[in-house]
Amino acid sequence: MATKTVEFGVGPGREMGPGGVGTPSPLAPFDIPEPDIGTERMLINIGPQHPATHGVLRLVCELDGETVTEVTPHIGYLHSSFEKLGEYRTWNQIVPLTDRMDYLAPLIYNCAYVMSVEKLMGIEVTERCKVVRVILMELDRIFGHLLWLGTTAIDVGAFTPFLYSFQQREKIYGLHEALTGARITTSATRVGGMMADLPDGWLDQLLDFLDNFPKTLAEVHRLLTGNQIHIGRTQGVGAISADDAINYGFTGPNLRAAGVPYDVRKDRPYYDYETYDFEVPVGEHGDCYDRYLCRMEEMRQSVRILHQAMARLPGGPINVEDPNISLPSKTDAMSDMESMIHHFKLITEGIPAPEGDCYMAIEASKGELGMYVVAEEGGTKPVRWRVRPPSFVNLSVIPKLAEGHLVSDLIMINASLDIVLGEIDR
Amino acid sequence: MSDSKSPLDAVEEGPASSDGGDSGAQASTGSPDDHPTVAALLEAFPDEVQRYRLNAGDQYVVWIRPDRSHEILAWLKNDPEHLYDMMSDVTGVDYGGGRPVEVVYQMYSTTHGLALRIRCPLPLDALEIDSVCDLWNSANWLEREVFDLFGVTFRDHPDLRRILMPDDYAEGYPLRKDFPLRGRFSRAEQTRRALNQDVERFYLAEDLGHGVPQEVESAPSPAALESGAPGAEREGEQG
Amino acid sequence: MGLGDKLPGGGSSKTTGGIFGPGSPTFLTSKIDAIVNWGRLNSLWPMPFGTACCAIEMMASAASNYDLARFGMERMSFSPRQADVLICAGRVPYKLAPVLRRIWDQMPQPKWAISMGACASSGGVFDVYSMVQGIDTIIPVDVYIPGCPPRPEGLIYGLMMIQEKIRQESLTRHFEHRAEDPATVARPRANEEEVVGLTGPFGNSTQQDALSTGASPRTDEEAPTDPLLG
Repeated sequence: MATKTVEFGVGPGREMGPGGVGTPSPLAPFDIPEPDIGTERMLINIGPQHPATHGVLRLVCELDGETVTEVTPHIGYLHSSFEKLGEYRTWNQIVPLTDRMDYLAPLIYNCAYVMSVEKLMGIEVTERCKVVRVILMELDRIFGHLLWLGTTAIDVGAFTPFLYSFQQREKIYGLHEALTGARITTSATRVGGMMADLPDGWLDQLLDFLDNFPKTLAEVHRLLTGNQIHIGRTQGVGAISADDAINYGFTGPNLRAAGVPYDVRKDRPYYDYETYDFEVPVGEHGDCYDRYLCRMEEMRQSVRILHQAMARLPGGPINVEDPNISLPSKTDAMSDMESMIHHFKLITEGIPAPEGDCYMAIEASKGELGMYVVAEEGGTKPVRWRVRPPSFVNLSVIPKLAEGHLVSDLIMINASLDIVLGEIDR
Repeated sequence: MSDSKSPLDAVEEGPASSDGGDSGAQASTGSPDDHPTVAALLEAFPDEVQRYRLNAGDQYVVWIRPDRSHEILAWLKNDPEHLYDMMSDVTGVDYGGGRPVEVVYQMYSTTHGLALRIRCPLPLDALEIDSVCDLWNSANWLEREVFDLFGVTFRDHPDLRRILMPDDYAEGYPLRKDFPLRGRFSRAEQTRRALNQDVERFYLAEDLGHGVPQEVESAPSPAALESGAPGAEREGEQG
Repeated sequence: MGLGDKLPGGGSSKTTGGIFGPGSPTFLTSKIDAIVNWGRLNSLWPMPFGTACCAIEMMASAASNYDLARFGMERMSFSPRQADVLICAGRVPYKLAPVLRRIWDQMPQPKWAISMGACASSGGVFDVYSMVQGIDTIIPVDVYIPGCPPRPEGLIYGLMMIQEKIRQESLTRHFEHRAEDPATVARPRANEEEVVGLTGPFGNSTQQDALSTGASPRTDEEAPTDPLLG
C-alpha cells in the first residue's frame, strides 16, 4: 500500500496526551497509509463553507451510494474564545460578549448571563425587571425559532417561509432597536437590572407585532405542516428514543420531541414562570417532524406568555436601587458627590463578587442554556465564565442520528437540530 | 431570599473565605440534609468526598478526589434514589498560580428534579481523570473540549482529540491562566501556520478510524424504536 | 495580449492612442468599458462567506425588507466558481483562514472582496489567540464595512461602493487592476518585524494585563514550558 507523508495532522499511534517522553511532536512528519480505493465507500466533505450547514460546520460523510454510513462533524471554525475574553472583563463588560454567541436570540443570552451573576452575588432584581426580562426572553424565543423556521424550510426547498419569517423578524428587529439601539447585538441587561427601561410606545409596538404574528405563523403552518413533500422529508428522519435523548444530552425542543417533558421553565422555574399559564409541547417519535411541530407550538405558547407578561407588568424601578450595583442616574451623578463616587467606582472597578460559583440553567430557544460563573472573593472579573451551549451537545448526536439515512436527510437532520455555531464554538 | 434583606446583604455577609486548594474544611452554610444526594454521598464515600458547600443560595457543590471519580459518578447515575441521568456540563476551572485544575460536572436528575455539582481537583503534574463517556454520551464532546482548552487527559475516552482548536495547535492549552490572551506566537507566525494548514485533513478513511467496509443498516424507524427498543420501557416508567 | 490590445487605440504597443497617449482609453474603448462595467456591476453574484452575526444581517439584506434583488444580487452564489464578489460577513478564526483563502483562490477573475463588519475588517472585539485580525492579512479586500454588525443599509452602501469601483474600471488596464503579486499571496501583508513588534503578548493595549482577577498571581513569566512545544 502506498504511503504519503503528512506534515501536520493525526494518524494512528499518535498520542494526543499532555506530553511527556516519547510523544512525537505534532510538527514532525509521519507516514500514514493511503486508503485502498477499491471499496464501495465514498468520502464527501460538506462545509465549512456551505449554505446548508447553518454556519461554519464541517461534516465529513462516508457514503455508500447515497446512504450515510458515518458522519463526523468538525467544529471550531468560529472559535472566538469568549470564555477567555470573559476573564479579562468586569461583570458588566461581559454582557456585549453574550450577544455575539447566539446571535439569533441575543436577549436570552444577555438575560441568562446576568441572572447567573445576580444569583452568585445574591442580588434580587425588581419585579418590573423580572417581567421585562421574561418579555424579552420570550420575544427572542420567537425570534430564534423564526430564523430556524426560515432556514429549515429553505433546506427542504421551500423558499417562501424564509421570506415570511424574515419579514416578521424585521418587526422584532425594530423592537430591539427601539429598546437598545441595536438590531442584533442588543446588550440590554446589566447586573442588577437593564441598560434602560422600556421606552414609551414599545409595548404598543409589541402588541402590534403579537396581533399580526399568529396570522403569518398560521400561513406558514398551512404551507408546511400538511405538505406531503415536507412530511416525506421529515417524518421518520433522524428519530431518537427518549432514553437516548437524555443520555446524549439533548435539551430543548429536540428533547421534548423525543417524548421527554423536560423544560427548564417548568422543572427548575425562574422569574415566576410557574405562575404563567402556558403549555410545553412534547412530541412522540423524536424525528424531524416532531421537532418542527414542537417549535411551531412553542412559538404560539410564547405569544401566550407575552400577553400574560404584558398584562402583569408592574411599575416601579427597573434597576436595583443600590448604588453599589446599579449606576446612579446621570443627573444624580453630575450633582451629588456621593453618586459621582459610586459611578466612578462602578465604572473603574466593577462590582465585587463573593467567592463561589453559580450555574444558572434557563430554557433558551435552542435548549438548556447554562451560564456558569466562578468568582473569587472580591473579584470584579470572573475567574471562569463558562457557557454550557445547548447546540454543542445537540450537535454531538448527529453521527448517531444520521447513520443509515440519505445525504439529503442529513441536511434535514442538521437543520432540525437548530444549531448556531456562534455558541457551539464560542 | 427574604424580602427584608437588601440585595447586597448576602454579598456582605458572604460565606467564610476559603481558597481553591483548601481541603477538609466543612461548609459554613447549608446542611447536608437539605440535599439528599449530599448526605448520601457523605455516607457512601466518606473518604473520597473532600468537602461540600452551598453556593449562590441553593446550589450544592461537592468536591471529590479524582481517584474513584468514575465509580462515584456511576453510583450517582445508577442509584435509584438519585438517578442523575442527565450530565448537563463537564468543564474545567483553572485558578492559576499553580493551584489544581478542577474538573466540574453539572448533573441533573429528571426523575427526582435534583441538580448537583461535582468538582474534582487535579494537580498540575497529574492532569488525568477517568472519562465518563460510557455513562453519559453527552460527556463525549464536553470532555474533548476540556482536553482541548485545559490539557486534562480523560482515560478511556473513545476519541480524545482537539475539538475547537486545530488538531496541530502548538501554542498550548488556551484556557489555562498562564496562556496569554493573544497566544504565544506572533500574529505573523499564527497566520503563517493557519495558511499552511491542510484543509482536507480528516478526509481519509484511516483518519476516520476505520478502513473496513461494514454492513450498511438503514436507520431505525420510529415504529421500531417504540416496540422492543429500550426506549419503550422508559416510556412506561415515565408515565 | 488581452482585449485592450486588440481594440484600436488600446495597448501600449500601439503608436496611436487616445488623447492621453498610447495605452490610454479612446472613445471606443471607453464605451465598451462602460457597457461591460454596467453589465458587471448590475449583476454581481455575491459569494456569501457568512460566519457569525454579520451573516444574519446579510441574510436580512437579501430578504424582502432591504432586498438585494434590486441590485441584481439576489442570486447568492455559494459556489465560488460562479461568484463575483466575496462578502466575508463575520469573524474569521485562524482555523477558518485557509478555507477563506482557498475560496478566494477558487473565484475566477474579475473578483472583488468585501470585508463586512468589524471582525472581518480588523478582528473586532476579538483580539485573541484564535482570531484573524482582519481578513486583509489573508485576501485582498476592496471595501471595508464597519459596524458590529453593520445595518443592511451599511452592507448595501458597501455594495454600491463596489459598484462604483467597477464603474471606474477599464479593460485597457485590466491586468493592472487585477494583478495579485504572487510574493504576497498567502502571506501576511505587513512586514514581519512590524507585525511581531505590534503583536507580542500584551503588546500595546491599555486594557490587557497578565492577571485576570487580581487574586491569582502568575508564576510563569518567561518562555512557555509547554511540552507540546518541545
